[in-house]
Amino acid sequence: MHPLLLIFLIFGIPALIGLVYVYSRGSSGLRTYMTTRIALTIPMILILATVVFFVMRILPGDPIDSTLGPKGTAEIKERFAEQHGLNDPIFVQYGRFVGNVFTLDFGNSLIQSQRPIVDELGERLPATLEMIIPATLLALGLGIFLGTRAGIRRKSASDYGSRIFSVMIYAMPIFWLGLLFQLIFGVWLGWTPIAGRIDPQIPLERTTNLLIVDSIITLNWAALRSVLAHLILPTLTLGLVLSGVFLRLTRINVIETNQEEYVAAARARGISQGTITRRYALQNAMIPVITLIGLQVAILLAGAVLTETVFAWPGMGRYLIQRILSRDFTAVQSVIVFFALFVAVISLAVDILYSLLDPRVRY
Amino acid sequence: MTKKLLLVIFALALVAAACDSSSDDTTTTAAAEETTTTAATAEETTTTAATAEETTTTAAAAEAAVCPSESGGGTVIIGTTDAIASLDPADAYSTRDWEILRNFGEPLLKWVPGSGDELVEGIAEGMPTPSEDGLTWTITLREGLTFGDGTPLTADIAAAQLTRLLTISETGPNQVGLTLGNPYVDSIEAVDDVTLQFNLPAPIAFFPQLLASAAYIPANPATYPEGELNIFPDAPLTGPGPWIVTEIVPDETVTLEPNPNYYGDAPGVDKIIVRQFADPQSMALAVQSGEIDVAWRILGAELAVELADVDGLNSVVVPAGPIRYLIINHVLEPTNDPNVRKAIASVIDRDELSDVIFGGAVDPLFSQVPPGFLGANEAFDELYASPDLDEARAYLEAAGYSEDNKLQLPVWYPPEHYGATTADGVLLVVQQLEATGMIEVDVQAQEWGTYIGAVVGGEEYPVSVLGWFFDFPDPENYLQPFIENGGIGTMVTSKEGDISPGVDPALLELLTASRAETDTAARAEILDELQNVYAEEVVTVPLWIEPEYIVYRDGICGDASLPNPESLNIGPTMEFVYSVLGTDGS
Repeated sequence: MHPLLLIFLIFGIPALIGLVYVYSRGSSGLRTYMTTRIALTIPMILILATVVFFVMRILPGDPIDSTLGPKGTAEIKERFAEQHGLNDPIFVQYGRFVGNVFTLDFGNSLIQSQRPIVDELGERLPATLEMIIPATLLALGLGIFLGTRAGIRRKSASDYGSRIFSVMIYAMPIFWLGLLFQLIFGVWLGWTPIAGRIDPQIPLERTTNLLIVDSIITLNWAALRSVLAHLILPTLTLGLVLSGVFLRLTRINVIETNQEEYVAAARARGISQGTITRRYALQNAMIPVITLIGLQVAILLAGAVLTETVFAWPGMGRYLIQRILSRDFTAVQSVIVFFALFVAVISLAVDILYSLLDPRVRY
Repeated sequence: MTKKLLLVIFALALVAAACDSSSDDTTTTAAAEETTTTAATAEETTTTAATAEETTTTAAAAEAAVCPSESGGGTVIIGTTDAIASLDPADAYSTRDWEILRNFGEPLLKWVPGSGDELVEGIAEGMPTPSEDGLTWTITLREGLTFGDGTPLTADIAAAQLTRLLTISETGPNQVGLTLGNPYVDSIEAVDDVTLQFNLPAPIAFFPQLLASAAYIPANPATYPEGELNIFPDAPLTGPGPWIVTEIVPDETVTLEPNPNYYGDAPGVDKIIVRQFADPQSMALAVQSGEIDVAWRILGAELAVELADVDGLNSVVVPAGPIRYLIINHVLEPTNDPNVRKAIASVIDRDELSDVIFGGAVDPLFSQVPPGFLGANEAFDELYASPDLDEARAYLEAAGYSEDNKLQLPVWYPPEHYGATTADGVLLVVQQLEATGMIEVDVQAQEWGTYIGAVVGGEEYPVSVLGWFFDFPDPENYLQPFIENGGIGTMVTSKEGDISPGVDPALLELLTASRAETDTAARAEILDELQNVYAEEVVTVPLWIEPEYIVYRDGICGDASLPNPESLNIGPTMEFVYSVLGTDGS
């Protein structure tokens, strides 16, 4: 089975079940809203893909020169262009591209190996997902934990420490932090691997290309240990950098919520600070944080580009950069469509979650 | 309290590491380098190397890493930042691709590992013999040859597979056949089960060298069908060479294990894993931490110097490297004026380039043919005594320029493609040009994807910079690409004619004569004259030879009975022969 299909089964089916559940149990307003949002996702992706399609062709340089380089005589260039449909009128090319988006058959890469794009994405998308999911969890967990503590203990040493940490970590270039961690934990201390997804000496049968999943389904515990060890530094790097903004947002919202009258009333009723924090302050403070998750997804993908480069992580970000430089139109368009789809799905999920968390929200 | 202490320790660690990093302000430049290659021109990157002299010292002091008589076997992990572009010998045309092809395949002839001038039999039984008119060459295959999967390798199969180079190579993206096949060979046929005959359109003196290139590896028909390229085949890949490629994980690793059907000695180690990195800095850290055993191309001078100080590592300059040169467009203004070209040639101070950019660690290049090759001379130095600013001004005056009417000269370069040193070199060249007081340079940087298209088009850049590493070690391969029309060195092509636009036809006559001349002394004389005319015409302006570096951990060793064991037997041909690698068993 193709890895992309497996990825869909692993992530898409639970998401679909959740969606159907919310759809069936939600208010009619929510159902209408969800229908509209899903319907709007299609033109949104199309608009983005269209912009990318034309921008790639406006940019100087093209895949023919980039691929053939010095060997590109006029005859060979002509044949290359013919072979890849680059001689067709621009709107014919565009129509073909849009058709491919709907059939999820993105054609072949224009450069180098000229492999099917879906095969290349099937190798790289799982790598990116395997890195950004734990990084997001780390960013959220750390950001919310430290932010809440800082909010509750305002003007304490831990509050100041957390604020300094959040600014410092957010301002740090990801590639620099990655190199720093490699140096400290990989070279000086020797605790973690420097780069890659798995020790190349450990054999692992790859089915989904999500190496954690592949290790588990093949009961290859040595591989699982190696995969988890290789995930530490990239996750730490990406997660820490992104945690700064969650920390600050949580902190300020906890402070504001703590000043609300209903919190003062709860406190007057003798409810413990822990309960107040969990049941009142944090739940309300989470609403803007959840909104931010949707916005941070795009930044997360941008951060993944740098993290993947530093840690030799063969993911979508590195692939995108390579292909932009080579003017591989089909590959770039396909990756952008996937990125757009990813951001759209997360945004939709965030909106739904938002409505569930905040009963005041009505669609 | 404990938490606060941890916080303080973390902050101190950050500061300490920041101090360590700030001492190396070129680290980030190296990290940002793009290292994907698409041609055998050996697109390589190196970093600013004011301290490169130290590396040379290190290399000179490096003792040969000699294995015990019996290698300890085991697995050797080699790091690289080069990407795979093609794994079909009828298409592949990059250093990384050829390295893999040469290890699981083997050409008819091969270079003794570590040497650049000792040609020996590969899968051939003896050296090729030419006919009297030099138009056919005959060569015999070893008896009982097989591919790694046990398929017999007969002359019929070899002829059919090598013919792919002549017939279908041009359908691929890398088209090695257009450079190493079609210009020199008309057809290839099997005379009997073990004898191959090559029919040439014209006699060439360097035909044996040509047969040692990776393009002349007979591919296994089970993987590479006769009428179709297979650029990215699935593993296992088998050929007649000492290894089998057992696994390829795109962008991650290539794994090789010994070929049990190889005719020669078994390799010294049990497995080779080639790991791909996205940037040289991570590769350097990986070899430092022991995650990889060898950091090979493309490391760069700066990192090689840093790693030379690390215990347990050996940092060595490889006695091979690509050249850098200025492409001078002979059709566009103002460089279509011979006086302008000569003025440019006169102001280039190669010693200053070598000293300032590389700390004296590179060799200045005074002819397009580097020193050590047959007939190589120093024509640019003899003709222009460069730098000679007075001479340059005289040429500029002859072209109608003065201090009040300065020559406006656009100079283009790709800032990211060749790394920081080439970019720095170009900027120094700009200073040298402007030192005449009669040239005003408009220096322009352009990202490679766009740059290469513009250079190839030949309609935009009067002066630009490129790099080159030979496909086969013969002066021909340093001249033909720049003289013949469509030659891939100048990249400036026109639709008609045999010679690069604006270049003296005498050069083509001399080139043709040098190809056919089999007497070494006579050929050297022709090549000498050819380089003089080349310099007179200023076809290109050669600048310097850029070094390559290899860093490996203690316990990894080359073969002391072969040349250059200290660089793991990587010699002037820059071929990394994995089968000569050994370990001390630790």
